[in-house]
Amino acid sequence: MTERRFHRSIYDVRAVQGAIKALERFAALTLTEEGEHHVVRVAAKSPARERRVADELCNHALGLARREVF
Amino acid sequence: MSTTTLEGFPKDIVVADPAAGSVTLTVDVAVYPLEAVYGAAYIFIDRCYVLLDRPQGGAYSVTLTPKAAATTDALRSMVGEFANELLSQAWRQKIIEENRVILEAVTTQALSGAMGPPTLDDLAAFDFTEDSFDDPLGIAMSWEEKYRKKSPEEAAQEAAGAQPTESKP
Repeated sequence: MTERRFHRSIYDVRAVQGAIKALERFAALTLTEEGEHHVVRVAAKSPARERRVADELCNHALGLARREVF
Repeated sequence: MSTTTLEGFPKDIVVADPAAGSVTLTVDVAVYPLEAVYGAAYIFIDRCYVLLDRPQGGAYSVTLTPKAAATTDALRSMVGEFANELLSQAWRQKIIEENRVILEAVTTQALSGAMGPPTLDDLAAFDFTEDSFDDPLGIAMSWEEKYRKKSPEEAAQEAAGAQPTESKP
């Protein structure tokens, strides 16, 4: 299980949700709220795939947060 | 997670994680606004995976993980480029903030100009009763008005108001 933590003051929850929606066909993604972070846990067939999806999730969420397009 | 310092950068600002192949920069919130961090990070998403965080109230952390395997030298170069881009973005933000009023005024004028010439109704409603502007040099006068033959009274008035000229011996 790989996780990525997205700070609330940097990533709008809609940006994280949008990124999850875009990548959910590649891995099982679950979003939870923990303190100041939106936490996304990634589960896939292999650790390498989990990491790849988690990394892509970061860029996708950043793109959506920057553009404010959800 | 074991981290190492990156040669040429302060250890409290830049740390590398060899196992993850990533490097993390700490960015002071007071120096770089979030928009500048977004802008710089966005430029790097074609080369790196970028994750922003705010571990402390006064700082952002930027974790860059190159998409392709990178040597230490490549990581150092990438961090340097990111720092330069961050500075550029922060400066650009400052210029935008300082010139916001001018930009808005120019845009407003451009949009009002694009609305086209006034209609006959607009002209009919226009108030032309304002006093005429001051024209001491007679620039706005027509040629006929300026050089017409003056009446004897007008000529006398003009002569009385003229400055005396030096007489030749």
